[in-house]
Amino acid sequence: MDIDYTKREIRFEKELNNLDNLTISFTSILNKLDIKYVIVSGYVSILFGRSRSSEDIDIIVDKLSFEKFKELWSNLYKDFECINTENVKEAYTDYLMNKNAIRFSKKKEYVPNIEVKFPDTNLSQLDLFALSQRKKVILNDNTLFISPLELQIPFKFFLGSEKDIEDALYLYEIFKNKIEIKLMHIFIRKLKIEELFNKYIK
Amino acid sequence: MKIPDIDIDKLKKFKEKNFQDRLEFVKKYAQWLKKTPDKKWSSQQRKIID
Repeated sequence: MDIDYTKREIRFEKELNNLDNLTISFTSILNKLDIKYVIVSGYVSILFGRSRSSEDIDIIVDKLSFEKFKELWSNLYKDFECINTENVKEAYTDYLMNKNAIRFSKKKEYVPNIEVKFPDTNLSQLDLFALSQRKKVILNDNTLFISPLELQIPFKFFLGSEKDIEDALYLYEIFKNKIEIKLMHIFIRKLKIEELFNKYIK
Repeated sequence: MKIPDIDIDKLKKFKEKNFQDRLEFVKKYAQWLKKTPDKKWSSQQRKIID
């Protein structure tokens, strides 16, 4: 793997799969509209080569006004449709502003889909941290923003399913010589997963 | 029909061993991927996902 990792960005090339193409197609619209977002969860490990698939890609979008959300909605609706509702007002008020996620798939498809939510600041400040410290990824000629790996790895351990632990271990193996280990350990302590981390990262 | 006895502790150990084996594979796969050209690993990943 020929990967160029700097404090500012991660740059690499790969043959794109269906999940990559779906993600790029969605995030290119967010990029075009200058909407701040961060990709979190399982797709991050798939992006970097993990040998598994997924039914969804999780994206946290910085809170938008209804006007801006309508602009996003109309841009998305050229290729995508919302699985939860066809009503833009309902999607915004009943779902996003009510701390619920909405899902977009390519038209007439159900999976895979993109799960979108606003940051949940009542639950924790982690969503805001991920957004503010998001890492730029240049994949071929496409730009994506992912959660900082120093948070992503411990958070996967915190989620704790076998799949999550495998994802965390995978990302750690790929990036252990590149990430800020000190920062990762701060999150390990804060999430109280020292025991789990020590058990699986030997 | 005789229902077999089940030793949950043994099955839990089996499950844990199974998981450890998968983690070992994930680790080895990551090491392989790091030294493999992008075109090769991503083409194989594409076969799994697509």
